[in-house]
Amino acid sequence: MVPLVTKDFLRTTLRPRHRPIVRALAEALFSPAGEATPERLDAFVDEVDQFISPASKTLRFGLVVMLGVLRWSPLFFGKFRLFDDMTVDERIAHLERLDRSKVKQLPLIVVAYKTVMTMLFYEDQQELAGLGYPGHARKRYLKVAS
Amino acid sequence: MTVNAEAFDHSLHHEPSKAERLPVLRGREQTRPFSADVDVVVIGSGAGGAVVARELARDGRSVLVLEEGGHYSPQEYGALPPSQSFRRLAREAGMSVALGVGDTPLISLLAGKCVGGSSVLTGAVCFRIPNEVLHTWSGELGLSRMTPDGVDSYFEEVEDICHVETVPHHMRSRASELFAEGAASLGVEMKSMRRNTSGCRGAARCNFGCPNGAKMSVDVSFLPDAVRHGASIVSDALVQKIDITGGKARGVRGRFLDGVTGEPGIPFEVRAKVVVVACGSMHTPVLLRKSGLDSVHIGRHLTLHPAVRIGALFDEAVDGWDGALQSVYSDHYWKEGIWLNGVYSAVNVLAAAFPGIGHEHRRLVKNSPNLAFFGGMVHDDGGGQVRRWLSREPLVTYKMIRRDKERLLKTIQILGKMAFGAGAREVLLPIFGMGTIKKPKELDFLSENKIAAPRIECMAFHPLGSAKMSTARETGVVKPTGETWDVENLFVIDGSILPTSIGVNSQLPIMGVSMMLARGLVDDFAKHARKALA
Repeated sequence: MVPLVTKDFLRTTLRPRHRPIVRALAEALFSPAGEATPERLDAFVDEVDQFISPASKTLRFGLVVMLGVLRWSPLFFGKFRLFDDMTVDERIAHLERLDRSKVKQLPLIVVAYKTVMTMLFYEDQQELAGLGYPGHARKRYLKVAS
Repeated sequence: MTVNAEAFDHSLHHEPSKAERLPVLRGREQTRPFSADVDVVVIGSGAGGAVVARELARDGRSVLVLEEGGHYSPQEYGALPPSQSFRRLAREAGMSVALGVGDTPLISLLAGKCVGGSSVLTGAVCFRIPNEVLHTWSGELGLSRMTPDGVDSYFEEVEDICHVETVPHHMRSRASELFAEGAASLGVEMKSMRRNTSGCRGAARCNFGCPNGAKMSVDVSFLPDAVRHGASIVSDALVQKIDITGGKARGVRGRFLDGVTGEPGIPFEVRAKVVVVACGSMHTPVLLRKSGLDSVHIGRHLTLHPAVRIGALFDEAVDGWDGALQSVYSDHYWKEGIWLNGVYSAVNVLAAAFPGIGHEHRRLVKNSPNLAFFGGMVHDDGGGQVRRWLSREPLVTYKMIRRDKERLLKTIQILGKMAFGAGAREVLLPIFGMGTIKKPKELDFLSENKIAAPRIECMAFHPLGSAKMSTARETGVVKPTGETWDVENLFVIDGSILPTSIGVNSQLPIMGVSMMLARGLVDDFAKHARKALA
């Protein structure tokens, strides 16, 4: 890793009330059978916060509002529970319902967070190695042009 | 050039131990106000601004380039994982979007915000402006210099400077080979792309900054040459307003972005005889409006080349990460407004778009080595608009016309057929909430145009046209020379001036047009300098 010469921006976006929602979402997306440890999920919330924080005020505000909507969204479907109070299987079923919803804003909540969180979660070297990704090693460029 | 000497003396000397590092004054590390007096100030260091800076510096003019984004050397950004690359090099950490109006998808936009601009984040794909497009510009729109003969010499020169070469067959990834096989099954020929690379090792992650320093983005091609000829570059410098008095541009004012908060802090001021705006199609209109220009065309006519990609799951290991990120294309459907490009990206970034939640998503992620991706984009009809909004980032909206939506759906259908034609056992369509499909017949619904556009996962990499060039004040923002109709000595030279969608990747077209306009500015500089003194 080449050390970065310049300073990095250090602001944060997520407040304590947002963190359980992000963690619950991560658990549903990446740990449906308990694959990720609680420590990994806790640390992952920080990674999400660090990633989204360089964005503009308006985008960060939008992302925070989405978390609020996600938290209360089970009520839209007659479930009297908050998203982060649901079991993992219930959360998965709920997210699938949102993803298929005909109300066009609801799938976007799932897509927005799933996109960011998937990119971050599977950037972990162990996860990548588990998929068979060889890191920096490449072979094709070594072939002689025919 | 006269500058606040203390700031520059410490920061703008070459470091012998890091000869490869571009000498850039980092605004985020400045603690005192800064001022300068130069011939030309260029706002933006991407494909447009870098070319202009080089040409004017080579002509002996004092040139200062102001870049809102940070500066990272190729060694630094090449070592960043994709998320950190987006976070540091891209606008909105890669999360910019164009909001769909009506039956239009939400379109994710990738644009650079760093020294080198979007050229650092491109797939290095280089196409010249198609002749059909140039004929429209020179014929219907009256831009008489925009003919194939008029622009070819500039393209040749740009291609030489940034080393545009044809991707050799052995550098095609297996994913690209399968794309070509699938295309052949439909009787479509895939051709080899040309890219601005030198020594590509096929890491397939060009769009996060080349890890091998092989992509000849402007930070390693045009900007170093500009600096060798005396140009200076300042990063983290947010230009907030162009100083305009007596109908002439006199310079710019702004603030350096703070090193910790990222918010505007220490002020700076630059006086210049000529001001060149090269902030790209999403930010040039915002700066023009903030500076008092009021043409109704500012921010309008934005085109995006809406794009889609599909995943194709094969029985064989594809290992699509081994080979050039993009190496094949097809213009077979050009007359129908569709352009096909081979695509790939980092595994974790691709995984973000896989369908399913929980178990199903993880199943597909685990199959990543067996997945190939095929992409296509639409030659669109400018339905986008850029407006100032609540934050520094603009509000971008886009209304897709019915024809373009049909083109988008047809692109998905063609790509799906190619995937099955290449032997895919499952195809991942870019439609939210839809699982994988296993038979070609399951693609038929796409020709019925019944699916709501907001359900389509859509992206764009080529925003163009929001400050378009025209032959009359009433129809555009800048003259054929790049100078604005409303303000003398104020030029716009970037993708925003292209008057229509071009249908192909925009990096080389922006560079070629910028080279042509920069040469014109060089020729007429004495005239502009006299006007500045008047």
